[in-house]
Amino acid sequence: MQELVNFFSEVGKLKEMPRRGWVIREIKNPETIAEHIFRATLLAWILARSKKNGLNIERVMKIALVHDLCEVYAGDTTPYDSILPRNKKKWKEIVKTWPRFSEAKKKELALKKYKKEKKGLEKLILNLPKDLRKEMKNLWLDYEKGLTPEGRFFKQADRVENFLQAVEYWKKYNRTPQKPWWLQAREMFDDPVLLDFIKAIDKKFHKKKKPKI
Amino acid sequence: MTGEKVFYITKEGLEKIKEEYEALKNLRQAKTGTEAPKILESEDLNPEYISFQEDLALLETRINEIENVLKNIAIIEPPKTKQEKGVVGVGSKILVEIDGKEKDEFTIVGALEANPSLGKISNESPVGHALLNHKVGDKIVISSPIKTVYKIKKIKYNIEKS
Repeated sequence: MQELVNFFSEVGKLKEMPRRGWVIREIKNPETIAEHIFRATLLAWILARSKKNGLNIERVMKIALVHDLCEVYAGDTTPYDSILPRNKKKWKEIVKTWPRFSEAKKKELALKKYKKEKKGLEKLILNLPKDLRKEMKNLWLDYEKGLTPEGRFFKQADRVENFLQAVEYWKKYNRTPQKPWWLQAREMFDDPVLLDFIKAIDKKFHKKKKPKI
Repeated sequence: MTGEKVFYITKEGLEKIKEEYEALKNLRQAKTGTEAPKILESEDLNPEYISFQEDLALLETRINEIENVLKNIAIIEPPKTKQEKGVVGVGSKILVEIDGKEKDEFTIVGALEANPSLGKISNESPVGHALLNHKVGDKIVISSPIKTVYKIKKIKYNIEKS
């Protein structure tokens, strides 16, 4: 039991870790990693129910619960990290658009992130019972590599939750550029249910006011 | 195949799916047969198959799903004519200029092989779909709700014949 107490105690740190994407955009009291996991899990469960071909909902939800646990030690990484200058005043301009990299750079950044997060997860689950450790690693790998329909679905659902949060912050603070999120959504999402959900977000939040940037 | 979804896939992608199919069939055999299911205790069991260990119904679902994919598969072939080479198709690697400023490289792939972090964009994503059948110099405008213009600068195909 002791190892479980230690595990949950470490996981609890995510309740106090702000999501880095909002920190670099200077959002006041940004959501924490645990808050993101909570809503991403709920969103994935409910939207996975609408899928015509059916997904294993339990697996979708387990993937959702596990996907960011590595960040207890690995921290939260954003696509902007490698291009942010020291001068924080310049960050505002950089986050106005989605960062673009060469194919080689994309591979390099993805591999670096993967290695860091894999190490973080392995450290976190090191003392858990073997079967649990194995299951958690496999669920995380499914999310990372899109090994099953459930893993591929949640990879996108995770970003949809992030997208919804971005639109909410735009509405609340009226200064979070939306363009990067829309660029990302239209290049990354191909799941019909999630694309419909994005349209519904647009309808709800942009009825009166359209974002300019 | 009429009315059914077509899964575009590279030759390598197809090999991977066939491998998974064989492994899952072996797993089913081990679970339902009289033979001791050693495969289930293996440390090296592919993560892909872990969820099927305790759920035979799920295993059957996945096997049926792969059979459906294999039935409706379209291997991505290199373009045959000069005209085909000049337009964006599934399997092409393209260089685009976005809003007249930044450049990006995408490879248009089928949904099963999409990985946007590595520049592999699904042909079923709004941008992937909109770029299809366009040629160098074309401008594609996507405008819901913020307008973005993708200008095609280069189209390349590096596909092996199947």
